Amino acid sequence: MLFLLDFSTFLISGFLITVEVTLLGVGIGLILGILAALGDIYGGRIIRTIVNLYVEFFRGSPLIVQLFLFYFTIPMLTGLSMDVMMTAILTLSLNSGAYQKGYLKGAMEAVFKDQLMAAISLGLPMWKIFLYVVVPQALRIVIPAWSNELASMGKSTTALIVIGVREFLNTGISITSQTFRPLETFAFITIIYFIWIYSMLKALDMLYDKIKIPGLEPVI
Amino acid sequence: MNKILECRNLTKIYGKVVAVNNVSIGIGKGETKVIFGPSGSGKSTLLRCLGLLEKPSSGSIYFNGLDVYATRQDLNKLRARIGFVFQDPSLFRHLTALGNIMLGLKHVIGLSESEAWRKAYEALRLVKMEDWANYYPAQLSGGQQQRVGIARAIAMDPEVVLFDEPTAALDVELKWEVIAVMKDLADRGTTMLVATHELRFAKEVADEMIFMDQGQIIEIGSPEHFFTSPNTERAKKFMAKILG
Amino acid sequence: MTPIEQIIFLLKAVPVTLAISLLSFLFGLGLGILLAFMRIFESAPLRYLSDSYEKFFRSVPVLAVMLLLYFGVGPFIPIFKDPFFTSVFSLGIVSGANQSQIFRSAIGSVGRTQMLAAISIGLTRFKALRYVILPQALFLAVPGLGSEIALLIKDSAYSFIIGVIELMKHTDILRASQRSLILPYVSSAIIYVVMTFPVATFLDKWGSRKKKELGL
Repeated sequence: MLFLLDFSTFLISGFLITVEVTLLGVGIGLILGILAALGDIYGGRIIRTIVNLYVEFFRGSPLIVQLFLFYFTIPMLTGLSMDVMMTAILTLSLNSGAYQKGYLKGAMEAVFKDQLMAAISLGLPMWKIFLYVVVPQALRIVIPAWSNELASMGKSTTALIVIGVREFLNTGISITSQTFRPLETFAFITIIYFIWIYSMLKALDMLYDKIKIPGLEPVI
Repeated sequence: MNKILECRNLTKIYGKVVAVNNVSIGIGKGETKVIFGPSGSGKSTLLRCLGLLEKPSSGSIYFNGLDVYATRQDLNKLRARIGFVFQDPSLFRHLTALGNIMLGLKHVIGLSESEAWRKAYEALRLVKMEDWANYYPAQLSGGQQQRVGIARAIAMDPEVVLFDEPTAALDVELKWEVIAVMKDLADRGTTMLVATHELRFAKEVADEMIFMDQGQIIEIGSPEHFFTSPNTERAKKFMAKILG
Repeated sequence: MTPIEQIIFLLKAVPVTLAISLLSFLFGLGLGILLAFMRIFESAPLRYLSDSYEKFFRSVPVLAVMLLLYFGVGPFIPIFKDPFFTSVFSLGIVSGANQSQIFRSAIGSVGRTQMLAAISIGLTRFKALRYVILPQALFLAVPGLGSEIALLIKDSAYSFIIGVIELMKHTDILRASQRSLILPYVSSAIIYVVMTFPVATFLDKWGSRKKKELGL
C-alpha cells in the first residue's frame, strides 16, 4: 500500500472535503430540522403539510436522486450557476434536516409538554425557560440520535461522487484510474472511513455518558 | 427420609453481597415446606439455586441423592423434573395459555402435538383455567396468569415444585384464587417448597416452616411452633408484623 | 418520448430495484439473526467476532464496500465481476450489521426473566432462543426491519454506479436521451417514495399493534 503515500496530499484533501460536507450537512440540517419540527408542532395545517411533504420526499428517496435533481435543475430553473460543492451542501443539509426533524420534534415535545407550565408557574421569562430548561434537556435527549445522524451522513457523502465532488471516495477512484490498483486503494479508503466514523460514534457516546441524566433518555 | 432436593452449605454471592449464606435444607417426597422472611432475606436466590437457575458460589445441591454439580448432570434434564413458579408469572407472551404449557411438553419431553395438547389441557383443568386455554397472557388477570404459570410447571410432572413468592405481585382479591390452587396441589401430595408471606397458607398446609433473614436460616419449626412461640426475637417480630 | 412513456420506462426498472432490495434484505436478515445469536452464547470468540463485524460494517459506507468488491476483488474472484451480485452482496453484508443491532435490542427487550422461565422447564439454551425469545423478538424487531427495507430500497440506487440497470440507471438514461431534466428525477424520486413509505409505515404500525396486543 506504500504507493498510496505518493497520493497523500490528494487523499488528505479528499478526506477533509468529506469531513467538511458531513459537518456542514449535519449542522445546517440541524437548523432546518429545528425549523421543520417547530413548523410541525406550532404551524397550521398548510405549514404542517409542507413540512411533512418535505420530510417524506427527502427521507423516502435516495440521496443520489436528490443530488442529480438539484445538480441539473437548480441552474435550469433559477439561472444561477451553482458549483458542485454548493449543490452538495444544499442537498445534504436538506436531506439531513428531514431526518433530524423526526427526533427533534420528539425531544421538543418531551421537554415542552411536561415542563413548560411548571417553568412558567415559577415566573421565569420565556428566554430563560428556553435557555435553562429546554435546551439542556433537549440536548441530552438528542445526542444519541445525533451521533447516528453524523455517522449516517458521513457514510452518505460517498454519494457525492455522482455529481463529481472530489471527496474521499472519489480520490480513490482517481487513484485507481492512474495506478490500476483498486484492491489496495479501496481497501485503504474503506478502513479510513471505518476509523473516522467509528471514532466519531465513540466520542459522542463518551460525551453522552458524561452528561446523561437518569430518567432522561432518548425518545427515538 | 430420602430427600428429593437438598442443598448443603449453599452460599451465593453477587459481587460483594452475600445473598445466601451457608444454608442447608432439604425436601422429601410429599412434603410441603414454606420459606418466609423479610424481602431481601435470600429466599428468592435460594430457590433459584435449588431450581438450578443460578449456580451457587459454593456448597452442593443434591437431586435424589446425586450431587448435581460435582457429577456434572445435564442441568436441562434436571430442570425439567423441578417445577418452578415465578413471582411475576413470566408466561411466554407470544403463546396462549395452552401454548405456554405445551411448549415444554413438546420440546423438552418430546410429546406429539396431540399428546401435549391433552396433557396441557389437563393441567389447565387442574388450575381451573380450561376456559381460558386460547387466551394470550396479556388478556388474563394477574391471578389467572399465575395459575397458568403453575399449570406450566406441574404439567411436566415434576418431582418437586418450587414457588418463588407466587402471590407477592397480586392484588389481595386475586391472591386467593392462586392460594386455593396451591392448597389443592398440596392436598394431592405434590412436593412443594414455597417462598411466601402468606402465613395462613403456611399454617394450613406446611409440614415445616423455615424462617430466613439476611441470607441465613434463623429458625426452623412447625407452623404451630411459629404461631405460638418462636424461639428467636427476629422470628417473633416478623410474625407479629405480618399477622398485624 | 411523451411524459407518460417516460414514466412507464422508469417503472419498467422497478422490479430490478425491488429484487436488489429484497434479496439483500433477506441476506442481511440471515446474517443479522446469526450475528445476534452469536452475541448471546457464552463463547467469547464468537461474541467478539460478532461485535467486531457489527462495529465495522455499521461504520463503513456501502458504496465504498461495493466499489472495493467490484473493482478490487472482482479481478480475483470472478463472481464479483457481476454487478447485480456484487450490489446484493454489499448491501446485504452491511445490512447484516444493522439487522444484528435491531435483533440484539429486540432480544434485549424480551427480557431475562423469559429466558429464566424457559430454562426452568428444562429447555436447552438453544431451544429457549428458538421457541421463546426469537418469536417475541421478531415482533419487536418488525418496525426496525421496516426502516431497514426502506433504507435498502434507497441504497439500491448505488448499484447503478457499478452498472446495474435499475431504476436509477433508467432515470439517467432518460436524462441523457430525452434532455428533459426535471421529469425523470422528480418522477423517479416519487417512485422511490411510493416504494419506501408504505413498507416502513405499515410495518411500524403493525409492529406497534402486535406489541401492545401481546403486552411485550
